Amino acid sequence: MALLEMQNIDKSFNQVPVLHDVSLEVNQGEIHALLGENGAGKSTLMNILGGIHHPDKGTINVNGQSVQMTTPKVSQQHGISFIHQELNLVSDLKVYENMFLGQELRKPYGFLDVKEMCLQTEEILTKLGVHIDPQEYVRNLGTSYKQLIEISRALLHKSTIIIMDEPTTALSDSEVEQLFELMRQLKQDGISIIYISHKLKEVKSICDRMTVLRDGYVVHTGPLEGQSLDQITTYMVGKSVSEDRLVSHAHTDEVVLSVDHLTLEGSYHDVSFRIKRGEIVGFTGLAGDGRTELFESLFGYRQNFQGDVQINGKPVHLNHPKKALRAGLGYVPKDRKENAIIQDMDVVQNMSISSLGHFEKNGFISNKLEHETFMNYKNQLNIKVNNPKENIDKLSGGNQQKVMIARWLELNTDIIIFDNPTQGIDVGAKQEIYQHIIQLAEQGKAVIILSSEAPEIMKVCHHVYVMYQGEIVGSFDGSEATEDNILSYATGSKKEAVSVG
Amino acid sequence: MGEPKITDQHLEDSQPNRFKRFMKWVWTDYSVIIAFLIMFVVASFMSPRFLELGNLLNIVMQVSIIGIIALGMTVIMLSGGLDLSVGSVLALVGVLTIMALNATGSITMALLAALLAGPMIGLLNGLMIAKGRIASFIATLGMMAGARSIALYLADGGSMSGEVLAFANISNSDLGIIDVPIIIFIVMTALVFILMHKTRFGRYVYAIGSNEKSARLSAINVEKMKLAIYSLGGLMVSVAAIIETSRLNSISSSSSGQLYELDAIAAVIIGGTRMTGGRGKVMGTFFGVLILGILNNMMNLMNVSPHLQGFVKGLIIIIAVVFQKRE
Repeated sequence: MALLEMQNIDKSFNQVPVLHDVSLEVNQGEIHALLGENGAGKSTLMNILGGIHHPDKGTINVNGQSVQMTTPKVSQQHGISFIHQELNLVSDLKVYENMFLGQELRKPYGFLDVKEMCLQTEEILTKLGVHIDPQEYVRNLGTSYKQLIEISRALLHKSTIIIMDEPTTALSDSEVEQLFELMRQLKQDGISIIYISHKLKEVKSICDRMTVLRDGYVVHTGPLEGQSLDQITTYMVGKSVSEDRLVSHAHTDEVVLSVDHLTLEGSYHDVSFRIKRGEIVGFTGLAGDGRTELFESLFGYRQNFQGDVQINGKPVHLNHPKKALRAGLGYVPKDRKENAIIQDMDVVQNMSISSLGHFEKNGFISNKLEHETFMNYKNQLNIKVNNPKENIDKLSGGNQQKVMIARWLELNTDIIIFDNPTQGIDVGAKQEIYQHIIQLAEQGKAVIILSSEAPEIMKVCHHVYVMYQGEIVGSFDGSEATEDNILSYATGSKKEAVSVG
Repeated sequence: MGEPKITDQHLEDSQPNRFKRFMKWVWTDYSVIIAFLIMFVVASFMSPRFLELGNLLNIVMQVSIIGIIALGMTVIMLSGGLDLSVGSVLALVGVLTIMALNATGSITMALLAALLAGPMIGLLNGLMIAKGRIASFIATLGMMAGARSIALYLADGGSMSGEVLAFANISNSDLGIIDVPIIIFIVMTALVFILMHKTRFGRYVYAIGSNEKSARLSAINVEKMKLAIYSLGGLMVSVAAIIETSRLNSISSSSSGQLYELDAIAAVIIGGTRMTGGRGKVMGTFFGVLILGILNNMMNLMNVSPHLQGFVKGLIIIIAVVFQKRE
């Protein structure tokens, strides 16, 4: 009998169904992959298991007993631990304090029993084969150690099911291997792991069985053995995704942006490259490769970098986004919510915020002009919005991103940088955004795309640069790049001298 | 204003749904007006003298100084900041105004001095906050102590009186039945309203208060905006200081402007502006100021001990915020 059975779960948010009749079975001592595109319902399902959301219909059995996961605490009492992608540790507390947060051990009279807590912490950490001083502050630890502490905390709570949401995004290769070793060990001890990841290769190497969700339905469940990556992708996407390159037009030879020996201490080092009119250039690498910092610098958001930047042959000094904009640079940042969207403003105002000068008459903003311009972009970019006067956060991720693109289209800059343009966006919208990016280049703009997804970069770029620890380590023509090749440069296992130009 | 355009989708909505949405809109955006109406009705029942025209005008007259300061405070708080220095700056500007008045004998010069000093001090606040990256609470707390101290030093700890008697005409004359300070308050409200809702400046203030990083990455010059925002706050204090000084043709370096910052912040909060910025309305502050005025007036009419009035005011502020929390 399965350790965990979730049966026929239905869940809607605001009358929008998110899960339809979803069932999930996890056996004792297995690593179960939960797969699906963004928005397929994985997080909702796990949040139901974690007691954060409540199902409209359906049952959950743990160890054959029906349970109601009313709160996260109840879920924890049934042996379920949820390790979120963004780790849930208090960095200003010590390791042992984090381990026992909310369940501190106390001596009679109510004083904390620090000694016992440290002892137990050390015991568990030793069992996992790591040596961290329980008295160390969490802020001084690397990401992989923080992850270990979260896992230790799960073990401390005597969890039998651990949910891991994208645990490897911030880890290096060797750290990933370490984590997998640990997961195998946990498996041997009879602990089950539900593993959520987009990295199918990792999934294939570590997981036993999988359940694939698509648009809120379970489309496949079964062992991973014998399934090809293509097959798994097909389950997730519903059709085999074409790996065809979308970009076909030829770019000009006219250099628009040239960057020479750009360095920012601690972020990137001696970066040089050229971009031509009509060209789409991709920058890829793993988390922490410095590409975001590099382009935030170019856009004037970060200061104190050294090196030369020329736009259209003229040297520019970019120390504020406003200057970068005037020089002809546009930047659609990653992490929309933190960096791009202005949550308290409506959709139209979010579109116009950077180009208000276009909508002014005698110094006053003309709402009518704003609205008309927005309606143009709404049609052009196929933005789905009922009421342009509603708050931007009511829109889905893909539509929000399109509004951000409209914001920069209105500014009509020669060079436009997209950082992670398809982050948290469903497949359909992704394709649309690629089309718009290519259109921009065809119109003669120079486009830069930053992305950690190699396939995306390969699809739409004329040229690909791979960064590793702040340096450009690989440089390919888009048509020659392969995923394996990109990955081996991105992980630092290969390196070549870059010839500029 | 925020009235949603009626589109096809809305027309398809059933009648009760639309009513519900309308009520929700009124409730979230204009709950302060409802509160104002309730206060107004309650006050008119509790004291028959409340509704007399003279009394009503008196209420607005009494809140006009705080009201003008609160307008500047609204802009600052919408940008995610705070200005604790307004009361002290009012005293300092008042002292400087009287000094200029007495030195030159010219009302124009006095007004010029006032209208220069406030924005300059505001600019200083802005420099500390934008360039020095000091939290607005700390920077303006320092300014609060500093400005008061300089006012005390210049006036030797006491009051200063103007030697040009005509200066008192500013606050003590009227157009028809309406006193000049009331008119200034209403005109200022209209100007700040237009500034915040119809111009680029206003949009940028909301953007900065809502998400400063997004604002900067949208190519808004956040630093320059902050200088402008705090200077504007200072300008509002200047206008308030002119009215305050002109009322009795004198200013007290020790007691003038005491606790004005708290009343101004209270009015802004009652008016529905979010402490962390990005959300709020100029009209909300206007009604917030009037609510404070009615409250004071009611307590005076009903002979509530002056020692207890602070308690009631505090209670109302907290209740107002509790209601706004339920967004």
